[in-house]
Amino acid sequence: MVNFDVACKVDLEQDQATVLVAEDEVLIRLMIADALRSEGLTVIEASSGDEALSVLQSALPIQLLVTDIRMASELDGLALARAARVARPGLKLIVASSQQAGDEATNLADAFFTKPYALSALVERVKSFLKEAQHGGQ
Amino acid sequence: MVDNDAELAELAGTVLVVEDEVLIRLVIAQYLRDCGYRVIEAAHADEALLVLRKSEIEIDVVFTDVEMPGSMDGFALSQWVRSNRPGTDVILAGSVGRAVQAASDLCDQQNNVPKPYDPQNVHDRIRRLLASRRPAKRDLQSALERASLGGPVQ
Repeated sequence: MVNFDVACKVDLEQDQATVLVAEDEVLIRLMIADALRSEGLTVIEASSGDEALSVLQSALPIQLLVTDIRMASELDGLALARAARVARPGLKLIVASSQQAGDEATNLADAFFTKPYALSALVERVKSFLKEAQHGGQ
Repeated sequence: MVDNDAELAELAGTVLVVEDEVLIRLVIAQYLRDCGYRVIEAAHADEALLVLRKSEIEIDVVFTDVEMPGSMDGFALSQWVRSNRPGTDVILAGSVGRAVQAASDLCDQQNNVPKPYDPQNVHDRIRRLLASRRPAKRDLQSALERASLGGPVQ
């Protein structure tokens, strides 16, 4: 497995909660990232499923992934969610779609959001999951 | 860390970072944020144009890679910015080393926030991140294969 203890002097605040946001619409991604950063969270932005997978396969500490299902990349959000479950078993996972959640999305995700995003509800859910992860020793 | 983003942007300015390699982009973007800039990230020129066409989003500097997939490379994006956003500076960085140096120079322009760490550390971090991904890819591939065969995923 990946060694997540790789020492990084210049780190994305190792002790701070880090959220990976995978969204291929730049203005929506910016809106989500800004909202989460204004809560003091560290946010990594991925513009596609492929970019998000690159981040998950790196040594970066990530506590939570927020992903859109429909993305114009080789990996869509569901494929990314499947890969994330393998690469990072302890990761909290929020999936969003403009359509109703299918069975697989429901099974994979810890929470499902319908687009357009209810931003404040999303931020609150992210914060509560991060609190759980911290208490669970993540 | 500064708490108020709006205050921060007013103080330091907003940089649009355009870079198609996510592991480079996120480190450069974080470094500039740690220097006090508000940073908007774009993965390629087409995303950058969506941001730049929004006149209500103030951008002081476009910091772009040269070679990128999509309808425009960094040179074409730079020309677009000069024609359509004349007050916006453009920094073209064609390699990781030049990108780190350019980010460091931007940090030096900040009067209120000291440079958070040495640019060499930024360069080292990008190198480490890019290296850490390679073995992980093989691990993930084999884990996915085992998962699809019904075997243990660990």
